[in-house]
Amino acid sequence: MKKDVNAENIEFLSSGLIAPIKKWGAKWSLWAVHLVTSCCGVELAHAYASGYDAERWGSLNFGMMRQTNLIIVEGTITKKMARALRITWEQMPDPKFVILIGACGIEGGLFWNSYHITRPWKIIPIDYFVPGCPPTPEGLISAIRALQKKIESGEAKTTAKFRETDLAKLLGTEVGKERKPPKPPLKIAEKPEIKIEPKEVEWEFGKKLIEELKNKMPFAEIFAIDINRIYIKTESKFYEKVAELLESEGFDHVKSLNVIDLPHENKFVVECSVSSYSVEELMPVIVTFSVEIPRDKPRIPSLIRFWPSIDYQEREMHDFFGVWFEGNPWMGNKFLLAPEVETPLRKDFKLEEPSYVLER
Amino acid sequence: MDEYSIPVPVKPPAEIESLYLPVPPWLEEKSKEGDELVLFVGPQHGGSGHMRLIVRVHGDVIREVIPDPGFVHRGVEKLAENKLYIQNIPLVERPAIMDCINMSLGYVRAIEKALDIEVPERAKYIRTMLAEVCRIGTHLYDAGILSVFLGHTTGFMWPFALRELTCEILMRVSGARITASYVVPGGVRRDVDRGTLNFISDAMTYIQQKSKDFEKVFIRNPVTIARMKDVGVLSRKEAIKYGVVGPFLRASGVEYDVRAVEPYDAYDELTWDVIVADDGDSYSRFLVRVNEIQQSIGIVRQCVKALKDMPEGKIAVDTKGKMLDSVKGTFFRTFGRLTLPAGEFTTLTEASRGTLLYTIVSDGKSNAPYRLRVVTPGWYYLKGFMESLKGCRLADLQAVYGSFGYFPPEADR
Repeated sequence: MKKDVNAENIEFLSSGLIAPIKKWGAKWSLWAVHLVTSCCGVELAHAYASGYDAERWGSLNFGMMRQTNLIIVEGTITKKMARALRITWEQMPDPKFVILIGACGIEGGLFWNSYHITRPWKIIPIDYFVPGCPPTPEGLISAIRALQKKIESGEAKTTAKFRETDLAKLLGTEVGKERKPPKPPLKIAEKPEIKIEPKEVEWEFGKKLIEELKNKMPFAEIFAIDINRIYIKTESKFYEKVAELLESEGFDHVKSLNVIDLPHENKFVVECSVSSYSVEELMPVIVTFSVEIPRDKPRIPSLIRFWPSIDYQEREMHDFFGVWFEGNPWMGNKFLLAPEVETPLRKDFKLEEPSYVLER
Repeated sequence: MDEYSIPVPVKPPAEIESLYLPVPPWLEEKSKEGDELVLFVGPQHGGSGHMRLIVRVHGDVIREVIPDPGFVHRGVEKLAENKLYIQNIPLVERPAIMDCINMSLGYVRAIEKALDIEVPERAKYIRTMLAEVCRIGTHLYDAGILSVFLGHTTGFMWPFALRELTCEILMRVSGARITASYVVPGGVRRDVDRGTLNFISDAMTYIQQKSKDFEKVFIRNPVTIARMKDVGVLSRKEAIKYGVVGPFLRASGVEYDVRAVEPYDAYDELTWDVIVADDGDSYSRFLVRVNEIQQSIGIVRQCVKALKDMPEGKIAVDTKGKMLDSVKGTFFRTFGRLTLPAGEFTTLTEASRGTLLYTIVSDGKSNAPYRLRVVTPGWYYLKGFMESLKGCRLADLQAVYGSFGYFPPEADR
């Protein structure tokens, strides 16, 4: 932001002959555009509902950005949402204000090192921040009151006062020098092996079902890993064959499509879990079948013709790992992710590690 | 009639053009042929929700809806790989914070399954009770948002006033209005005393009484019925084919509820009905959830009664199976640096909006999951939601959207 938009808005309101009327009008009609950006929207809804009733202070949630003068940014702004946020802000008439609620908007909160989020204050100029995860409706209302006071008096005042502390003295380091925090207890194995092994369980129906499946699929390794959970290990050329057989058994929908990345073994493990709604005794059973595919050429047939419910999960796994599901018409397009993020769930995509920097 | 052009500057300013999200090129070409229109709904639109719907309409009849989710995709699955098992509990409940207990319950149960520990009886009942309180809260939330979609502001105010009570219950029990992080491996964080139990019991009575008024104002309102009856129909066959879950599946006539099919915690010791409807339209999707609120109130009452009869204390176990009165002290030291045995552990949970699946893949050496797969209800029924819109009028889009209670942070994770 080159110009100081916040100061310009206040200057506009407090200049000219009819300044008091302009101020009065803006103060009591802070209408917030309905851009619910994340989960803090739950508390925003509470603030505008009958419990807290923010309409008492002239603030009202409204549909269109063209008729509103306030954005309440609710928490996390993802890279994809950032564009929408900016466009919405651009379209609002001046003078306009922004309140940001939630820890995620300030420094990322719980998701601070996520690959898909950004900081809203880099995108639009913020008037007030409300911390909390999520902040209470009272917190939001006090931000609206503070904004009203700012409009009236022309100067921004914080509602929270903190005692001044000399950070450098407290932490015993020089200002500006990077300081690693105490080592996290996190311990991640270098080259782990993923072993899924049979487990002895007392499950009569399962034994019968496994026998039945074994007769139909002599090429696969079939065992129970828990009560109601059956695991099938097979080669990638039998992937479609297994799906076809399971579909004819009565497994009619997909519970989960999962890809496990094993970079040190140069392979992806593709796991597909299916279950049934139409056959009563199969309802609690989840059958997972897994195949291994090479990591440098991850191509596998799509199962969309057996189970249409797998469609979006295949698109998602294509986004996350770059696995190409042959036969799914969406391949090659981004579905969940912003255009600039590529295969984030592969193990070689590293997230930022925590470090503290003292700034003044 | 001759065609004529209207000189309106429809081109956006060049400096913000780069901000537009890309549209698949084939879609652009398709929109130019025939007499179809391609409309973009969202991410800023009148209701709650933050996703873009690309709607192909012919006249005002919807031919196809292409979803563009991911506006709230925050990468929970990746972040979970870089955190301790116990640090992931607050993380996994962020996708649907109004449904926090159910969200963390699924994850915690996967850990318990891996460690093979049995939770104390009292903790089981407390979990079940709060899961149902969250279910009531979420269904009320969705009813409120549905009213906003239908332009019925009074219908928004009523359920949100009742939701204040569920927030109050969570606050008294766990200390947080919405993000409780209350369920921990081996039990729950703290005990519920008698006074709180009485409050929960009173709150249930109040919700039950007041929901009768809500029924008059909104549920049986002729406008509501006219907007939602026979709109966005999913037949039983379609619902199964597209893998719809939860109340939306039951509204299409499939009797599937994880709480009944694969009971967890205290559900097999309680009596309640699985609500099923046959129509599969928007209104029955709504009614199923309205009736589920009544069932949940019944479950909460049974839990309160059972908890009052039980001795207080003993709300957690440690990894060795020793009963604990409190999670203070050694508890976090043992669970904090937890390493699960190698293998794959999958749990199903009936969250408010449907089946919730967690798969933890552990390598047996790290103290963080090697891979955590989360499939939330919103992600399951998105396909069915898109299919049910086919053939509807454009004006019905909001009614169908609201009837699914689609909550994008939950679906995108």
